Formats: sequence, C-alpha cells, structure tokens
Amino acid sequence: MAYSAEISRVNPTCFVFLVDQSASMNDPIGGDSPQRKADVVADAINRLLTELSVKCAKEEGVRDYFHVAVIGYGSTVGSAYAGALAGRDLVPLSEVADNPARVEERVKKVPDGAGGLVETTTRFPVWMDPVANAGTPMGRALQYAESIVSKWLVDHPGCFPPIVLNLTDGEATDGDPDGPASGIRAHASADGAALLFNLHVSAGDAEPVTFPDTDTNLPDAYSKTLFGMSSVLPTDMRSYAATQGFSVSDATRGFVYNADIASIVQFLDIGTRATDLR
Amino acid sequence: MWAYVSTLSVPKDGATAEECEDAAVVVPVIASDEPTDGPVSVAVADGASESLLARPWARVLVDSTVEAVRAKPEVLHSEAGFARVVLGAVDDWDVWLAAYVAEREETARPIKWYEQPGLERGAYATLLAFHLTDVGLWHAAALGDSCLFQVRADSMLRAFPVDTAIALGTSPALLNSRNRDDELIASRTGLAGGDYQEGDQFFLGTDALAHWFLTEVEQEDCPWEVLRDLSAAGSAEEFAEWVAAERAGGRMKNDDVTLVHVDLG
Repeated sequence: MAYSAEISRVNPTCFVFLVDQSASMNDPIGGDSPQRKADVVADAINRLLTELSVKCAKEEGVRDYFHVAVIGYGSTVGSAYAGALAGRDLVPLSEVADNPARVEERVKKVPDGAGGLVETTTRFPVWMDPVANAGTPMGRALQYAESIVSKWLVDHPGCFPPIVLNLTDGEATDGDPDGPASGIRAHASADGAALLFNLHVSAGDAEPVTFPDTDTNLPDAYSKTLFGMSSVLPTDMRSYAATQGFSVSDATRGFVYNADIASIVQFLDIGTRATDLR
Repeated sequence: MWAYVSTLSVPKDGATAEECEDAAVVVPVIASDEPTDGPVSVAVADGASESLLARPWARVLVDSTVEAVRAKPEVLHSEAGFARVVLGAVDDWDVWLAAYVAEREETARPIKWYEQPGLERGAYATLLAFHLTDVGLWHAAALGDSCLFQVRADSMLRAFPVDTAIALGTSPALLNSRNRDDELIASRTGLAGGDYQEGDQFFLGTDALAHWFLTEVEQEDCPWEVLRDLSAAGSAEEFAEWVAAERAGGRMKNDDVTLVHVDLG
C-alpha cells in the first residue's frame, strides 16, 4: 500500500516549506484579525518547526525522522532560515531544533481549571522572520522545491514521499503555478508520489476552510487554483484527521484557507501515538 | 506445578538496545533453564514511541506493578484494584522524574525547549500484568495492546486483551504518567483469568509480536511452536535473528519486541 513506508532515522523523509514573501503579504488577513499575512505565515512556519521538533523529541535529543527546508520567495527564491542555519536548504531536524535564530517568550492564555483563563508565558522558537517585498515568483519557488525533492529521492528511494507545503496568498506573478506544482507531484519514491499541500492566507472575509474535498465553497480563483494544486490526503493521514474531528472523504485535499495548518504534522505516523485515555 | 520462565527482547531495527521502550519483569528472578514451583508474577509495558521518557516510564510501571501484585495478587481481580496499582506507579514516577530533572540540571544539561511540552504531557505506555497462583489459577489485567496468549494441547485457548490481528492499531489505550483518574483507568482496564494445567504455555508480548502471533493463528499456523523453541534455546542472538527475518519477510512490524514465556511443560 502506498504511503505506508516507515518514517525513521534509517528511512527519513523530507519536508519543504515554501513561504510567500511578496509585497502583497504586507496586507492584513481577512476577518477580525489585525495580523499581516507575512506575520501569519512566519508564525505558521515557526509553529510547524516547533511541532515537528516536539513530535520527534526524545530524551537524548530530536531524532532525524525528517530533513527540513524553509524556502522563501519574493525578491529572491532561497533559504529563509535566519540565524545559524541561514543559506541552507535541507537541514536534519535535530539541527533545526538546536538552532532557532532565537527563542522568544510569548504570553498565552490557558484554562485556569475553574472555567476561566490565566496568562502564562511559553517559549516560542523563531527560525524565520516575516518578510514582504517584490513580486510572487511561486512558479520558480515550486521548481526550486522540485529540485530539492528530486535530489532527496535519489538518495532515499524508499522513503515516505517528500512533502512540500506552500504558504501563500495565492497571487503568483510568474505565470500559472499549476504546471510547476504538477512537476513536484510527478516525483515519487517507491512508496508513492510526492505530496504538495497549500495554506492560502487571504484578505478576503470568507469563512476559514480546513481540508476540503471540493472547491465549491472556496471564495476566489486563487483559492480554487491552490486547491487544484493540492494532493489528496493519503489514506492513513485522512483516517487520523477523521479521528481528530476533521470531516474527510476520499477526495479530501491537503489545503487550508485562512486557518491553522500545523495539525498536518500530527497526521504523520512516526510510531505509537501518545494519546490520552478517553 | 513447575514453571520455566524466560524473557527475550529486541529493539526496533535502527535503534539501540538502550533505546528499546519495552519493559518486562518477572518475579521470582530465575534463569530460563531453572524451574520454579511457586507463584509467578509478570508485568509487560510498551512505551509509546511518540512520547518523551517512554522507556523509563515503562520500567517504573512494570517494577511498581510486579511489586504490588506480589504483595497482594488480588489487585488483579478487579478493575479498581488494577487502577490503584497504576496510581502507585504514578507516585513512583513523580519521585523518578524529580531525580531525573535534578540530574539534568546538575550535569549542565537542562531540559530543552522541545522537551518541555513532552514533560508537561507526561510519558505514555501500555501495561499488562499477569499472576500465576500455586493453586491452578491465573489472573491478568491489561490496559492497551500488550497481549497474553494461553496455549493448551496445541491450540490457543485464550487471547487477552486483543484477540484479532486487525484490532492492533497504532493508537492503543495508554497509561499517562500524570493520570491520577482511577475511575477512568478502571473503566478502560480489561481483566481475565482462568485455570491452568500441566503442559499449558503462556506467552506475553508487546504489540508487534502479538500481531504476528494472532496473524499466524488466523492462518491456522501454530506460532507457539517457534516461540517455544526460541524460548527453550534462551539465546538473545537467535531471537534477534528470528525477529529480523520476520521483519524482512514483512510478517512483523518494525517495532520493539518483547516476549515472556511461561512454560508449564
């Protein structure tokens, strides 16, 4: 069965994050949030890297189940890591975890056990800062990801298929991104075709959409294009999404509109999941 | 009734023995080629690979459980009794964890940011406890998918707590090291018991071995034969070679594997 390869230190896979850093990312996202799109995607990347690191953490350190690239696209296309990892493409996850550019203290509200909320501080590692300038060379970025995926597969032909996650407001300025997107999905390991997922951050006021199986309710041409570029979720990921309360079908795609995408990390199986008794 | 007891364990391929997150303990402590004629108590735990400190939690669970069962075997007669055993292990864990965090501080290896969420969530593991009395009866309690099989006259008499291969998934019920909800633990606990006769065999194993065992039974094979032979040989290397061959043949999941064999032969 496809998409069933073990993800382990002896058989790791790769994650390529593509981050839109174009000028339009200076605009606020839709809804009531005052956040700029650039801030939303930078936070999303930092949370995704945090979730991956925590998921793979053991007492001796973070295990290299994944190698991770963060590629920005705007005035240029290339590594978006800040700090010690600047300029690098794929980095073993243990190195990512040990080398955030900085660790911020952030305030978050947590339940106080008596029905209210209480403020507490949490450590928030940062690998990437928000950037917003120039055009949106999404096609070039997808081609860059394709070259990373292609090289990875030469050395890891039996891996769980590489995953490319594109975070964007969808407004490509270098042509239709559908062709380069197909180029990524055309690469395959023995376990299946590479996966391309998309997070669309938009200034529109439409309701957030998470892992849809149709583009019928998507608000504009950009979101429909990104939905069309997105891979169908493999069976095991879909099954796990269903256990987490997501509504899924055989046609559910790895696409999210103005909503949280960090949960996708939890869909990946690296062994017995740590779940509470219910 | 004389019993021979042996324990064999192999880590997941790609992991070291020190990274094996299964734990098993047998009391009394006897060599595999020496018989015992009194009660036998066994505990098996399987730490969840996605949780931090799964290996030491599995170890604390089996040590604490066997001690409690040894002191009072009746704890395996009720769900509430088993839940109290687990709460005792949670108390033991708090002591262990405080010492662990202190040791990390003292050795200039403070807890990293990526460990903190896992420490706050607690560690996770399954637990299976088994007690063979000296009056012809056995009792077991389990939470999760570590399994017990009773074999008599060349057929499987009992599988507990899971009796089909397909029911062994990647999300078993797990005991969390911070869980003090004894009612919830009791509600998810399974109990089993029965009699035993001379010649009976009991196999206790973690999920990869249990899945293999049940698949063989479902194909009308006799998995106890090879396990009995491996157990009689008592060679860790031979067991590791056999597990490697089963994994390579796609018949066994790549996971930590632990077997405890109680042979009343």
